[in-house]
Amino acid sequence: MSSFILRRLLLAIPTLFGVLVVAFLLLYVAPGDPVQSMIGERADSATITRLRAQLHLDDPLPVRFGHYVGSVVRGDLGRSYITNRPITQDIRERFPKTMQLAGAAMLLASFLGISLGILSARNPGGFADRFALGLAYLGISFPVYWVGLLLILLFAVTLHWLPPSGYGGLRFLILPALTLGMRSIAFLARMTRSAMLEALNADFVRTARAKGLTEWTVTVRHALRNAMIPVITVLGLDFGAYLTGSILTETIFSWPGIGRYVVNAISRRDLPAIQGTVLFLSTVFVLVNLITDLAYAKADPRVSYR
Amino acid sequence: MAAGWEGGQQRARAVASSIIRPFVRSAVLPSVWLFLACGSPGATSRNTLVDSRDIYDPRSLDPALSTDVPTGRAVGYLFDGLTRFDPEAKVEPALAERWDVTPDGKTYTFHLRRGVRFHDGTPFVAKHVVHSWQRVLDPAVKGGRGEPLYPIIGAREYAAGTAKSINGLSAPNDSTIVTQLTEPLAFFPKLLAMPVAAIVPLNPPPNFDEHPVGTGPWKLVEWKHDDYLLFSRFDAYYGGAPKADSLRARIIAEPSTAVAEFESGNVDVLQIPAGEASEWEADESRKSLLMSTPALQLVYVAINTTRGPLTDARVRQAINHAIDVARINERLISGRGTLAAGVIPPALAGYDSARQPYRYDPARAKELLAAAGHPNGIDIELWTSTNPIFLRIAETIQAYLNASGIRTKIVQRESAAARGAARKGQTDLFIKDWYADYPDAENFLYPLLYSGNAGVGGNVSFYSNPAYDRVVTEARRELDEAKRNMLYRQADSIAFQDAPMVFMYFYNELYAVQPWVKGFVPPVIFNGQRWLNVSIRHDPRP
Repeated sequence: MSSFILRRLLLAIPTLFGVLVVAFLLLYVAPGDPVQSMIGERADSATITRLRAQLHLDDPLPVRFGHYVGSVVRGDLGRSYITNRPITQDIRERFPKTMQLAGAAMLLASFLGISLGILSARNPGGFADRFALGLAYLGISFPVYWVGLLLILLFAVTLHWLPPSGYGGLRFLILPALTLGMRSIAFLARMTRSAMLEALNADFVRTARAKGLTEWTVTVRHALRNAMIPVITVLGLDFGAYLTGSILTETIFSWPGIGRYVVNAISRRDLPAIQGTVLFLSTVFVLVNLITDLAYAKADPRVSYR
Repeated sequence: MAAGWEGGQQRARAVASSIIRPFVRSAVLPSVWLFLACGSPGATSRNTLVDSRDIYDPRSLDPALSTDVPTGRAVGYLFDGLTRFDPEAKVEPALAERWDVTPDGKTYTFHLRRGVRFHDGTPFVAKHVVHSWQRVLDPAVKGGRGEPLYPIIGAREYAAGTAKSINGLSAPNDSTIVTQLTEPLAFFPKLLAMPVAAIVPLNPPPNFDEHPVGTGPWKLVEWKHDDYLLFSRFDAYYGGAPKADSLRARIIAEPSTAVAEFESGNVDVLQIPAGEASEWEADESRKSLLMSTPALQLVYVAINTTRGPLTDARVRQAINHAIDVARINERLISGRGTLAAGVIPPALAGYDSARQPYRYDPARAKELLAAAGHPNGIDIELWTSTNPIFLRIAETIQAYLNASGIRTKIVQRESAAARGAARKGQTDLFIKDWYADYPDAENFLYPLLYSGNAGVGGNVSFYSNPAYDRVVTEARRELDEAKRNMLYRQADSIAFQDAPMVFMYFYNELYAVQPWVKGFVPPVIFNGQRWLNVSIRHDPRP
């Protein structure tokens, strides 16, 4: 097991290096000058030339890349061209907030999604099943911004139950988490339903019932556990996606997370900020995938890693 | 920073809104108004003023790095310059009580206010001015926005690192600053009201951008990035402390969210997006909340005068005649614009109310094209950023131009890319706006059309007319106000004839202000409202 983890972590290094190369090259070919973003629209060419030299923007590409990789290896992601703050500090500030939102969305999604899926599978074609199906259709087809704005209108503007936007306690978390998690709820409900249907018709479930176990134990302990593999896959992928920033949700709800940070950095051509965040978020994604793989083994004893 | 401001606004709108807005407009808004009929709050129990105008996080709270609107506004709360703008964009004394200028217009002596203290209690004296300005120009600060101080002798050299001090800047005693300029510049005091020229303490610490100390009416309490800035009243402010206890500047990226916050009573002031003005104006219950102000913002289409058929003034005039700007104003921005017949806004001296905009006249456009040797029309590219309003205007312009035989292809790029291309002279037509840094006609005539500013300087029309340059240069130096305004008018008229742009409109901003807010005046210029006389009224209105 531990050698498996170690191997996966080592394998992550070339992946991350690849990410770094691509991010670097893409920014290099993308039009738009970071220095012009730094100093606004009205500029004089002497200042532009001086700043370009100070930021080493005129050095050959391999030299720039070498410098960058060198400092990354030393754990230094550099400073933002625009704010002059260290990128690591910016990430430290924003990422926990994104994690909070992603965590809340996943919690909501796994609870609601899996429950709905189980209910549907228990009685296919019944009321719960049709309700869950309807909900899943809506969840998958409604775009995030639409749902987000509607939720704000209903719960904040009209009912005054929750704040429309901003960052703070639990009250601020509910609407964005629901908005973000909606797609996962829908997906998980459908995924759990089909996996559960299969499991509930399996021989071991009949055996469990024949042993005289309660329906609850049969469903949750025996069937659900066997149905978990595809569900974990969806959970892992979605969680990875949410952790890497949910731009639309963060924008609509003024949530000060990493998604908005990246978008701002991109529009300002803030190269160190973009590269640093891309690298950091790729690492997060790799780690979440690793954890997902480990969770398979936990759910299904037949899966084992060596 | 003119279009630093502009670029910022445009950028953030483009980022958040280009993804969301089209859907909001078509689908959400109608339902918004339906829902909203359910009730607006009538009073608030807050003691903090809440602003919703910032759409992205300030870059820094260090004046030396101030290049965007949120930064400039916040710097205006925390710091003072020698001068400042009132909401009507009149320049008034700030840290300088008064100033004299020698008859040759080259030497300004500023008499500083005595008894002023920084937030930490340090008394303000003349050497703070010298140090602050040196710091702005210091290459090591990497600010790059020292331009407002360039008129001072030796400032450029200092910024380039070739001089150890600024020759033209001196502090003969604690309460006097003398500046010698390279040439007479009548609006120099206006430049000093820009955020970048604000006065900071000696040797600010490295974390000054997050822990600023100034002499301004507000002190920083906390700054939660991408969330809000919270300020508290500076009781010892020399101009009298602000009326409210505290001020929260929220950062709300999505305009629809700002509207929801306003409707929920959580924010006090809302800037209404151009496309939505008519919906607000049509609503009787909201009408009383609205306030309008002529922002110093010109929306125009730069015509690159060095490219192909566009080198011919007749072709550029034809383009102006081919577009019905009045209709665009009415349909796309709810009539919030004042049609432009030149680049000087009606709010500034030098504006000529007698000059009429180009008439919408497709027949005349075709005639001019034929006269210029293009009876079969021409092919051009119209560049636009992802700003949703600009995109819709571009599509409309395309239709008008096509109808007059000017076959137009729209090229849409993300803002930084589009701006970069325009500065390099790769665009035929480029739709953009310009938001004044300081309220003076020069801030339109000089950056937008002076030949020396071609490209990165702001003149993306690459317009070059020696007669125009001469008049503008003369106006910059002229100390007599009446004469200067006449020269401004003359320059504007020359440019209008040459048509290096499609003169579109000056935008009049629309604000919604909560009924419990007292004393808010919408500012003509971005840093003209410092919330000194604004308060929250708690007694319900009769």
